[in-house]
Amino acid sequence: MSEILLDVQGLTHHFRLSKSAVIKAVDDVSFQIHEGEIFGLVGESGSGKSTVARCVMNVHKPSAGSIYYQGINTCDPAQFRKNRKLLQTSRQFIFQDSTSSLNQRMRVADIIAEPMQINHVKTPRGSDREEAAFQLHYVGLDRSYLDKYPSELSGGMRQRVTIARALSMEPRLLVADEPIASLDVSIQAQIINLFAHCNREHGCSILFIAHDLAVVKYLCHRVGVMYQGKLVEVAPTRELFENPLHPYTKSLLDAIPIPDPRLERARVWHEFDPEQFDRNGTMVEVKPGHLVLKGEKA
Amino acid sequence: MIRKNPYIYYGRKLLAFVLSVFILSVAVFYIARLAPGDPLVSYYGDRVERMSIEERQWAEEKLGLNDPIYVQYIRWIQNAVKGDFGISFKYKMDVLEVIESRLGNTLILGGIGFILIFAGALGLGILCAWKEDGWLDKSICKVGTITSCIPEFWLSLMLILVFAVNLHLLPSSGAYSVGHKNDIADRAVHLILPMTVAVIDHLWYYAFMIRNKLLEEVRADYVLLAKSKGLDKKRIMYRHCLRNIMPSYLSLMAISVPHILGGTYIIETVFSYPGIGTLSYESARYQDYNLMMVLCILTGAVVILFNMIAQIINERIDPRMREQEIVETTEVTEIG
Amino acid sequence: MSELLEVKNLSVSFDTHEGELQAVRDVSFSLHAGEVLAIVGESGSGKSVLCKSIMKLLNKDARIKSGSIAINGVDITNYSERQMQRIRGKVFSMVFQDPMTSQNPTIPIGKQIAEAIRVHDPKMSAEQVHQRVIELMELVGIDRAEQRCKLCPYHFSGGMRQRSVMAIALASNPRMLFADEPTTALDVTIQAQILDLLRDVQKKLGTATILVSHDLGVVARVADRVAVMYAGKIVEIGTAEEIFYDPRHPYTWGLMRSLPAYAQQGEKLYTIPGMPPVLIDPPAGDAFACRNEYALGIDYEQMPPMFQITDTHYAATWLMDERAPKITPPIGGMYHV
Repeated sequence: MSEILLDVQGLTHHFRLSKSAVIKAVDDVSFQIHEGEIFGLVGESGSGKSTVARCVMNVHKPSAGSIYYQGINTCDPAQFRKNRKLLQTSRQFIFQDSTSSLNQRMRVADIIAEPMQINHVKTPRGSDREEAAFQLHYVGLDRSYLDKYPSELSGGMRQRVTIARALSMEPRLLVADEPIASLDVSIQAQIINLFAHCNREHGCSILFIAHDLAVVKYLCHRVGVMYQGKLVEVAPTRELFENPLHPYTKSLLDAIPIPDPRLERARVWHEFDPEQFDRNGTMVEVKPGHLVLKGEKA
Repeated sequence: MIRKNPYIYYGRKLLAFVLSVFILSVAVFYIARLAPGDPLVSYYGDRVERMSIEERQWAEEKLGLNDPIYVQYIRWIQNAVKGDFGISFKYKMDVLEVIESRLGNTLILGGIGFILIFAGALGLGILCAWKEDGWLDKSICKVGTITSCIPEFWLSLMLILVFAVNLHLLPSSGAYSVGHKNDIADRAVHLILPMTVAVIDHLWYYAFMIRNKLLEEVRADYVLLAKSKGLDKKRIMYRHCLRNIMPSYLSLMAISVPHILGGTYIIETVFSYPGIGTLSYESARYQDYNLMMVLCILTGAVVILFNMIAQIINERIDPRMREQEIVETTEVTEIG
Repeated sequence: MSELLEVKNLSVSFDTHEGELQAVRDVSFSLHAGEVLAIVGESGSGKSVLCKSIMKLLNKDARIKSGSIAINGVDITNYSERQMQRIRGKVFSMVFQDPMTSQNPTIPIGKQIAEAIRVHDPKMSAEQVHQRVIELMELVGIDRAEQRCKLCPYHFSGGMRQRSVMAIALASNPRMLFADEPTTALDVTIQAQILDLLRDVQKKLGTATILVSHDLGVVARVADRVAVMYAGKIVEIGTAEEIFYDPRHPYTWGLMRSLPAYAQQGEKLYTIPGMPPVLIDPPAGDAFACRNEYALGIDYEQMPPMFQITDTHYAATWLMDERAPKITPPIGGMYHV
């Protein structure tokens, strides 16, 4: 197996509401992402998957646990400062809402070139503008978009620009937080292809956060399922979809509507009862690479 | 968040209020004495110019003006706590008595003006929102923008010029004619011009706020649902939209009190209307320290008080804000 | 017998600064009593506008340009606002996409439902109304209704809110329910619950439903018939089986082929080339022609009519003309995973 790029160990993040009230958004979550792997993180809204992404990107400081990126503990301020440039360039974040993650007053060329200027990266293709044109071409837009403003682009094009911006740093890890949730079906397909392409051609690892399991099934190599801040199951994609073990995973997989009327209508959906959820379990490896949260009750 | 104990909550507000008023009194006391001018003039009038140095010293000592400022302040606040705010230099009367004689006039002008402004604004706002983008809405908005740009003193002078000087229809100044202190009709006639200025100057701004807030509500999704269940426009407007903007309207009313009060002071001065406004102006002009102190603190206290009321309304009246606290507590106990 | 809803040649336009935007173009379809018709399409295809224009819920800048809408044979196209108010809620009502914003946040749920009951039945006593509110809340699966009817919407989760919106929509026993992307804003598991509820209610009450969605999986779960919309037109309509197993329009093919659910991991996802046309001054001929790899010369010049394939299945593509070359559809048949 290839080298481990990102190693998340016992990640815990609490939001403090007041002196006595704490929300455990992420509770003791551990997983690894290997070089060149697409790791999917799924779960319903509020399950803590976005918080994990933010902790990985040093947006939130975890309450406990540690995150190793290429062996660097990114949660340690001293180590972070020492490797600041590496950490800030080789990990890139892609947000769900491309409208608000692009500055409306900047041209596409400047948006893509900005991270290069900030990090004083040498531009192999001469100027920043040429570099921006190259990245745009890579994500499937031609030069004529260089001088456009984000408001002149459609949702799919804007998401391409955010990907181009991220790729301009030649990252080794892309963290994509629901990047296709607000796009139309046919546009979704284009962006999914783009992610698959980045992964295959660039060898870029991706932490892909989504709630659409069909997309995850198609795109990701391994998948983690989150529920109420806990990681309940991690497995290679095929294994997870064929042999889900945790009752929540089963219920989640059952709930995805299949675009086939006969199959879809024949299915019976089993609802997962939150009362049955035991958060105090430990992760047990049932098969090589297939971990599941085993509660104390069971 | 845990719901706060109301005693602690209001206790804190009270403490903040007292502290603010105290700081205000210190500031006003010092700044007033730093301003150029001779306070003896307001007490002794022109005689001051003919006074010898000894006479001056005697006079200052009598009025307590020769001590260092902090000593004067400590003396003032000691008396103030007992309810003795000193005498007005100009009127040679107890400060509170002077204010009492004027307060009623200002309350009549400001109070009635306030009611007229907010009732009028509500009506105009609803009318504009109802006829959105119709000719009525457009013309009301245009007229409003223009009139609210006219300064109060200029508008006052113009009205005096037209209705009092040229047409001789209305009195130009005062609160009542000599000898008609208790004549309501006479007072009403005197109120017409100042009231017109007060209302015209503020009405549009608040009407505009109501209009925009209502239109924001009308575009909300729930209005579509209300429509699709068969409700008529009137019902949606009054039962749903208006109801939802009322909390913010109430807090707006509270916050606007100082604003309208300030406007009233200027209007009073222009119309020589015997209220708190003219009194404040005089006290500052003649360095009537004791009177100025009480007037400043009174005005300041009103401003602080109404800002606090607005804040409390905002926090309390909207059920979303009021009950969110409880909901969050239950959720947290479930998760944690 | 006349259809429950019959829409004929309906065109709806918006007046914008750039000109007239033709959101719905010459759309005809009918809805039988008690069936679920799904309208599928991408954003901007006019599916939502179509529903709102039938209920006349559009803003002032939108207008019905031509065509007719008939309910049980009665033409309502020229109904006044007052006449519409009388039938909204009673004949048809609507469930909206975002349950977080589609209820008045400051009024308790029970009161909002009661309001919907009283509009069409003002003589009901308070006791009867309350009974009906509880009954409705139980129908849509909100338990502990007695206590919960006093709560405001913000106490409820997204799924619960959508259930209570359903209760409001069903308050006066409408014969038709428009559901505009009712599950798009919800989680998958909640979506499954709401879809099951939609199907249950439809079975229990026999309410005909028009479900607007962009998700073919959702459509497969609940729809009896499916209409595919593109650029303001219905390009294909048929029973769910016909659309999913024997699609005829190239756009329907494209939509299905781009679904990750149909693709194997590792193989490239199919994408429809190009962008949907802007509907201010739309192109002559078939609006899909320039994105269609099977386009014929005539597609660029002349709008294809609806070709009949079976009694229930129609498609608007020149490929169905007898003179057109025969093409093996790239997709169709059973779900192949």
